[in-house]
Amino acid sequence: MNLSLFQSEIAVVLLGLGVLLADLWLPSEARNKLGYAAAAGLVAIFLYGFRGLLIDPVHVSVFPIGGSKFGMFIQDGLAVYFKQFFLLAAAIVLLMSVEYSSRFTAGISEFYSLTLFALLGMLFAASSNDFVMMFVSLELITITFVVLNSFQRNRMASLEAGVKYLIIGALASAFMVFGIALVFGSAGTTNFEEVRALQKTLAANPVFLVGLLLVTVGLGFKIAAVPFQIWAPDVYQGSPAPATAFLAVGSKAAGIVLLMRVLFGAVPMLTSHATKLLIVVAAITILYGALCAIPQRNIKRLMGYSSIANAGFLLLGVAAAPHEGLTATLYYLTGYLFTVLAAFLVIAVVLRETESEDISVLHGLGHRSPYLALALTLSMVSLAGVPPLAGFFGKFLLLRSVMAAGTLDSSYYLLVAVAVVGVVLSIYYYLGIIRAIYWGGTNPDKSVLRFGITTKVALAICIAGMLYAGVLPHFLVQTASNAVGSSLHPEPVTAQTSAAR
Amino acid sequence: MPTLPDLLFYALAGFTLLFGFLCVANPFSRNPVTSAMFLVLTIISMAGLFVLLQAFFLAAVQVLVYAGAVMVLFLFVIMLLDIKEEERRRLNKAALGIGGVAVLAIAGLLVRALVQATPLASAAGQRAEGSTKPLGRLLFTEYLLPFEILSVLLLVAMVGVILLSKKEMK
Repeated sequence: MNLSLFQSEIAVVLLGLGVLLADLWLPSEARNKLGYAAAAGLVAIFLYGFRGLLIDPVHVSVFPIGGSKFGMFIQDGLAVYFKQFFLLAAAIVLLMSVEYSSRFTAGISEFYSLTLFALLGMLFAASSNDFVMMFVSLELITITFVVLNSFQRNRMASLEAGVKYLIIGALASAFMVFGIALVFGSAGTTNFEEVRALQKTLAANPVFLVGLLLVTVGLGFKIAAVPFQIWAPDVYQGSPAPATAFLAVGSKAAGIVLLMRVLFGAVPMLTSHATKLLIVVAAITILYGALCAIPQRNIKRLMGYSSIANAGFLLLGVAAAPHEGLTATLYYLTGYLFTVLAAFLVIAVVLRETESEDISVLHGLGHRSPYLALALTLSMVSLAGVPPLAGFFGKFLLLRSVMAAGTLDSSYYLLVAVAVVGVVLSIYYYLGIIRAIYWGGTNPDKSVLRFGITTKVALAICIAGMLYAGVLPHFLVQTASNAVGSSLHPEPVTAQTSAAR
Repeated sequence: MPTLPDLLFYALAGFTLLFGFLCVANPFSRNPVTSAMFLVLTIISMAGLFVLLQAFFLAAVQVLVYAGAVMVLFLFVIMLLDIKEEERRRLNKAALGIGGVAVLAIAGLLVRALVQATPLASAAGQRAEGSTKPLGRLLFTEYLLPFEILSVLLLVAMVGVILLSKKEMK
């Protein structure tokens, strides 16, 4: 057993426990500042983690413990890529929570440490090489988010978000654990690589296929893909802004990485037969998110529907499978991180001052704080997919990969058409927010919005990330491509009808 | 000719389903205590299923923890809230229809899969040791990592419960 493989996980656990304990000795005024310490710790782990990315991008090592030949824990290119992603997201979310802390009546340091524990679940999810490991890390994420979502317990909406997430999350977990039981029953193993070795014989076993389908139900819940999206708008609306942001970025990415591991790590052959299913889910998800977002007036609810639409875009790459599609998904996810976190940093600062969450609170933001207005504008422009920002290039890569797959199966062209419609629809509601900022009319509250230097820095990082990823995408695409190439085994799409139905 | 374990399996599985149904949708009583008691019976039938799988330790834990401790907690909450009779909800026909279709679809899928499936050369059969010793060995060797993650999960649950339920301070 090689403990150095776990160094970032161990560091995050220690950080979480440290924050939890430090609360006992610190005076209550100083507790807010703990978030800075936690974020600084994460940044240190993040920077240290680049070692794994730069030195040896195709470095594969597993965690062989007990008698099993393959470990449950895998530290490969994909894991390192996603770990860096999660660490960065959590660090920014922590800075956001410090800014938002005046809205929490109690337990701010617990909010920080719970964020760290949710991060821990995501780190383990990125390294899962086993259905058991996947389930346990997903549970850690889900349970932690139940608490984070209902953190403002004097607000009904927040409690409602927590309860809805708890119940629907439990339902999804039940489906997933039943699926895992069927998979174990038919395969005799829960290890992804052992399953891959058996996939030819297992493909003919209907019990295994049903089990796999149920597992994807649980993952679909995590990424909020139709038909498992029903919780997203309510939970996004009710949760405190930093929790919503982490849910939108971290939790979704954890679902995506596990989906990739299952579909392209454990059963790549089956996946290449089941592309029709993925195409349908991706198309419906994009359309549902984009259409339902149009009439929304609540900013966080709007972001909820936008997050559903984005889940659809992420699935585009998964549906298009081989290499380019998955690379595009990874790239899009990274751009999404900067974009969505920038939006939520602004939303957190604005909502901190007011009870209302209607889009009209953004009116006059251009005068109240030009910097926030600029950041939110850039983020909306990027989400809408306007060059030269990250969102544009991500969508471009995704659509290109789907087009490339279209030569084999013409239903991909239909998917491209649907995605383009989704993009056009989304421009309408993203630009609606920009209109509210600059041309929305007057806001009775004309006070200048004040926020800390760290929020400024976090916003600067997000803006820089959006621009960097959009203008100079080469490095990021290369890294994503290495991560996919070293870890997953996608098979070319076959045009036959789905065998996995 | 079905053997005794087979017969026991069908009986226990049937009881589990029956009591589970009576727990959530009892046509005779809307009393939450009755539902809780049917939940106890469901759990005990499931413990019987574990015994048939030779998972004796799990069966014992199932009875001790779920039928014992957790159910006492349920009953405490019901008593403290002083719920006598749950209100009858008006059934939403559309929701009932959609739910019914979903249930039928999933059930159909499962039944179809099970009918088509060929009996397996029992790969999982070698692991049919359910006493504490092999279980403990597995937990602390092969499954050590998930086990440790669960300890973090329990910590999170504890912190969360205290946070959400403690009195407002300051």
